[in-house]
Amino acid sequence: MNQRRVTIDPITRLEGHGKIDIFLDEQGEVERAYFQVPELRGFEVFSLGRPAEDMPQITSRICGVCPTAHHMASAKALDDLYQVEPPPAAKKLRELVYNTFMLEDHALHVYILGGPDFIVGPDAPPALRNVVGVIQKVGLDVGKKVISMRWRLRELITYLGGKVIHPVMGLPGGVAKAMDPAELPKFKQLAEDGLEFARFTLNVFKDIVLKNPAYVKLITSDTFTHKTYYMGLVDANNRVNFYDGQLRVVRPDGTEYAKFPARKYLDYVAEHVEPWSTIKFCFLKPVGWKGFVEGSESGVYAVAPLARLNAADGMATPEAQKACEEFFKTLGGRPVHHTLATHWARVVEILQAAERIRELVNDPEITSKEIRTIPTAVPKVGIGVVEAPRGTLFHHYETDERGLITKANLIVATQNNSARIAMSVDKAAKGLIHRGEVREGLLNMIEMAFRAYDPCHGCGTHALPGEMPLVVALRDSATGRVLREIRR
Amino acid sequence: MSRPLVLALGNDLLGDDGVGLAAARLLREDLPPHVDVEETPTGGLDLLDWMEGRERVLLLDAVVSGRHPPGTVLELTRGDFKTGSLPSPHYAGLPDVLALAERLGIPFPRDLRVLAMEVEPPRELGTGLSPVVRAALPGFVDRARRLIRAWDPAGAGGPRAAPPAPRGTRSPGET
Repeated sequence: MNQRRVTIDPITRLEGHGKIDIFLDEQGEVERAYFQVPELRGFEVFSLGRPAEDMPQITSRICGVCPTAHHMASAKALDDLYQVEPPPAAKKLRELVYNTFMLEDHALHVYILGGPDFIVGPDAPPALRNVVGVIQKVGLDVGKKVISMRWRLRELITYLGGKVIHPVMGLPGGVAKAMDPAELPKFKQLAEDGLEFARFTLNVFKDIVLKNPAYVKLITSDTFTHKTYYMGLVDANNRVNFYDGQLRVVRPDGTEYAKFPARKYLDYVAEHVEPWSTIKFCFLKPVGWKGFVEGSESGVYAVAPLARLNAADGMATPEAQKACEEFFKTLGGRPVHHTLATHWARVVEILQAAERIRELVNDPEITSKEIRTIPTAVPKVGIGVVEAPRGTLFHHYETDERGLITKANLIVATQNNSARIAMSVDKAAKGLIHRGEVREGLLNMIEMAFRAYDPCHGCGTHALPGEMPLVVALRDSATGRVLREIRR
Repeated sequence: MSRPLVLALGNDLLGDDGVGLAAARLLREDLPPHVDVEETPTGGLDLLDWMEGRERVLLLDAVVSGRHPPGTVLELTRGDFKTGSLPSPHYAGLPDVLALAERLGIPFPRDLRVLAMEVEPPRELGTGLSPVVRAALPGFVDRARRLIRAWDPAGAGGPRAAPPAPRGTRSPGET
């Protein structure tokens, strides 16, 4: 077969080097598009023999983007390892830090990372599809507000966590530091301002995105739609929870498929390997791997904001619940299968994070000094899970009786999502590229398909080159010869 | 006047990604007293927190451009960064951060330089530098030292010292 291959190699920065290969047939139609990211290897080997107590510090150093998510998942895995329940105040302090992290990270995505696609617009010239373009659109004052809010949220994380990067708060059975009542008024004010900021962000999103029929059409277009299973953490009332609860999975028709504690994740999550990729594609084990296909017969599932909203019966806080109802009403009811609606779901979650922060700082127990239960059990297996901003994150450790690691496994959000991301890129490529015509705008639309997931590729931390060159090579797959190359 | 800052970026759990941090640790051994050296595993908007209010900053970093052999040391100034870069799926790069600071009127270093070493993309978790990068490290540190000496207002850093740039940046040849 005379296939031609288009390679989109968009990310040269250390923090992520993803690649899209598009194979064209003789007519220039897309036969299959592949999205792959190099997997970071060696975590298990690196962890072997280390004391389990070191894992919250080590794992938070793996990633410069999600240190708090790794830290919390790891601290929860240690609770489980030592079979110890943190006192209520310790749980609340962890949840406070976690929601603060979620609010900050989501806001960053809305305004800085995903913003160029939605606030500036997918058809805007590349020179404007960046943070400068976002500020031009929303105004200088909004830009200043975002930066100032980010700074204050990080101040709270630093106060309780020790450091934003390399947090040191989580210990098996609790946290390292209590909330000083003298500090509380400052954080209560931050909570009020944070909620105001969240409401404001929802309005920005509504004004700029939802009032633009072209965007709404794009969000709901078939090109960016997949009917899959969804997974997310829920509380006892089946409401979205970022820090704790049970994992709930819903079918493509929105009905509950399973609900299970983190300990049972291996009964539900399995990994498939394809010859063309080093990445492991997670799927629902009882449903089985049927390939990169949609529907209830296929074990492909998604995590992250859209999946969390789909997997729960609603949000845990009143204003977020209202926003959630509007989300589903506008997009045609539960579940919503439009990948690009992830951006809106993220804004709904910003509201919940802000409301939850306010609840927690106003909870009388938050200043309690009872913040640690000392573990006494002999360790064996510990499994922890949180909802990272980008989706469900599993930490699984096994140790000898001294608590030294004998086995360690991580499943990060992007791994959970990898099959659906691959399907999204394939579908976007098929929907947008015809007769070999590969235009700049089309490539951006294909990239949008994976940017919505905010995929995590690697774990470096680089400022440079700070650009995302897009190299498209049209190749003859038989010879590998480059027929044409487009750079931007 | 704010103290000059040497800011090393990198993750020392990712092999050669930590070359900037390794350089910072060596630089600390004989640092002029008026210079700060810090290390951070993050990039993106966190750079705002580090650089706001500083007048002179030297970033030490690893870079994967694929255009140079591993171990090559690249020196860049503000003028070398393209504006209007495309968004990363993950976080803002230095050019974005500079553009943002400028737009929002955040006081940012007028004299901002970057020394970056070309490395192979790390694929495995682990500490320690590869032989090529380890061999290039002393040269990297020397380049950084020369730039730091040039910051010394009294020019006490040695014969190569030059007065601080009045504004903007200078080309590598002028250092």
